[in-house]
Amino acid sequence: MRNIWLILRREYLERVRTKSFIVSTLLLPAVMIALMVLPSKLAMLKASGTRRLAVVCANADFARAVQSQLEAKKRDGDQLDSSPRYQVEIVSTPNEAARATLKGRISTGTLDAYLWLSDDALASRKISYVARETSDFIETETLHRALRSALLRREFLVRGISSDEADKLMRGVDLNAVTIKGGQEKRAGGPLQFISAIVLVMMLYMTLILYGVAVMRSVLEEKTSRVMEVVLSSATAQELMAGKILGVGAVGLTQIAAWVILGLGATTPGLLAARSQLAEINLSPAALPAFAVFFVLGFLLYSALYAALGAMVNSEQEAQQWQFLVIMPIIIPIMMMTYVLRQPNAPLSMWMSLVPFFAPILMYIRVVVQTPPMWQIGVCIALLLLTLWGVVALCSRIYRVGILMYGKKPTLPEIVKWVRYA
Amino acid sequence: MPNTVQLENVSKSYDHFVAVDALSLEIRAGSVYGLLGPNGAGKTSTIRMMIGITVPDSGAIRLFGEAFTRSHLARVGYLPEERGLYKRMKLLDQLVFLAELKGVPAADATRKAASWCQRLELDAWMGKKIEELSKGMQQKVQFIATLLHDPELLILDEPFAGLDPANVVALKDVLLEQKQAGKTILFSTHRMDQVERLCDSICLIDHGKAVLQGDLKQIKGKFGRHDVQLEYEGEDNFLGDAELVQSFNNYGNYVEVRLKPGADPQDLLRLAVSRARVNKFELMEPSLEAIFLEVVGKRDA
Repeated sequence: MRNIWLILRREYLERVRTKSFIVSTLLLPAVMIALMVLPSKLAMLKASGTRRLAVVCANADFARAVQSQLEAKKRDGDQLDSSPRYQVEIVSTPNEAARATLKGRISTGTLDAYLWLSDDALASRKISYVARETSDFIETETLHRALRSALLRREFLVRGISSDEADKLMRGVDLNAVTIKGGQEKRAGGPLQFISAIVLVMMLYMTLILYGVAVMRSVLEEKTSRVMEVVLSSATAQELMAGKILGVGAVGLTQIAAWVILGLGATTPGLLAARSQLAEINLSPAALPAFAVFFVLGFLLYSALYAALGAMVNSEQEAQQWQFLVIMPIIIPIMMMTYVLRQPNAPLSMWMSLVPFFAPILMYIRVVVQTPPMWQIGVCIALLLLTLWGVVALCSRIYRVGILMYGKKPTLPEIVKWVRYA
Repeated sequence: MPNTVQLENVSKSYDHFVAVDALSLEIRAGSVYGLLGPNGAGKTSTIRMMIGITVPDSGAIRLFGEAFTRSHLARVGYLPEERGLYKRMKLLDQLVFLAELKGVPAADATRKAASWCQRLELDAWMGKKIEELSKGMQQKVQFIATLLHDPELLILDEPFAGLDPANVVALKDVLLEQKQAGKTILFSTHRMDQVERLCDSICLIDHGKAVLQGDLKQIKGKFGRHDVQLEYEGEDNFLGDAELVQSFNNYGNYVEVRLKPGADPQDLLRLAVSRARVNKFELMEPSLEAIFLEVVGKRDA
């Protein structure tokens, strides 16, 4: 135990003291925040411009209806809406001469776009939108909504429904999703819950791979520098492997803790401002403890595999050829992530989340989104522990023999033999 | 006093390759022992079993008079053939870490490491990373790591391989001191000429088997004195005497002669004096290498 502790402490201190650790601990949150903040800031920039739009329509009432829809769109105080402001002019002569004039104005830049609302177009509901560029999907969506609403309003009037009544009829719907669990009602999360679940899962995935690879590198370094033999004259291979995995894992936990603290510090003002939306996230209260449990179990499982891989090979290049063997079982759950997020209780989700190699990610998603029955979590963790025990026993055997094999690349039958050695 | 190391019929095979084959040997406390043999003879495999890196397939290993347990390792210092240190670790941290693994308290280890560094002129480098040190300095650090916990048994695998001459002298001085302090030293090497003057006893191994072992003086005595070095002026036809001379290597007025088994060197001297003027006549001790070749040659024949 003393040896494991000494090896763990060395591994931890040597890593935490490096510049790269300090830089990545500080830099990653900065990059993450930049990635989250910049796109919305950029979108806001565009929204500040005013678009000059011509509505070509013989029916003056309808043209005004569209105009008021577009110009008044800010009234609901929707801050997140980044579609531009409109300055709408009405052209009441939908003929070829007008079309040619408008085209000319668009190409000279005195007009940004026009909507062609001839009687034919309205009757067939096939409307042309002509602009220099039409790639802004938010803008096309805004126009789409404005036209639909204006058309509906016109139909209501035709059918003798007053403008006030039409407003009432066209009111939007609030869908208040509620989940029931053990007789308790709970407000379900919206898209923000999805996003925060994905962020947590990606964090788990990244740290698993990052620190798994760190274990492998560390084994390789001891092997290539030949320091292994000196250490082995004091400690057993098992102690060395255990100390190394725990030491690197502790570095991982330290880094995550630092990120969480830095992240909270940097985003608290923003979070407080957006409190109303945050209430929507409503993550399962088990999300954080589950993160710790699945990170620890998943890390131990994968780092044992990485340690064996590091012991088998002689160089980083050689390791890369084999790394897919270890990465595959992490990639599969990532590919299934969206499915499990959307249908956490589907049979496929349940069975896949019980597979020990997928469990750290898939079961974690299920816990975050909608806590599954306790027995499933129990079975999952029991299976994971059992697999962990088997994998560690197997990998420590490969490790014990592999670390003293220099130079030649082992073949698969040789590795099987290593496992059989007493 | 019990033998420091005792191996009884120890065997180890890897796959179908027999690395060590029913090897028995004993190393007296306080002696300098040479485990000698060509590359691939099984020296490193034997040593790895002595310090528990691998486990023998059969046979018994006793250290300090007791059956081997890992607690013995704190009393053993091992300099492996494949040298290595943590490259990015600082010199002093590294020494303290390795000593702590041997059970030395950190404060003690720091103090001892500093005094060793001072002695081997490394004190200016204690805060530097290993990768910033020259090869020669790294070798010194590696010796210190072997000696820092003041082990009773030193196991040195190819200790002089790749050393610069200054470090060879430094290492020999340190080892002599250790011997005088009553420590047991085990050398393992294929360069027999380098250690034959240092060893009290030896074990020659080949293909995992001991081919010759015991007290070095006795072995040399047993292998007798068949070789003569002779400097002469004049006729050299005495070399053609078929009853005395088995073979010779003539350099003009200097010749190395191998005598026939049972021939008396004095007869050759008388014969030579009668034919030529003899300036020097010396009976040569057989070198360990020559003995090894003779033993292996006989066994293979």
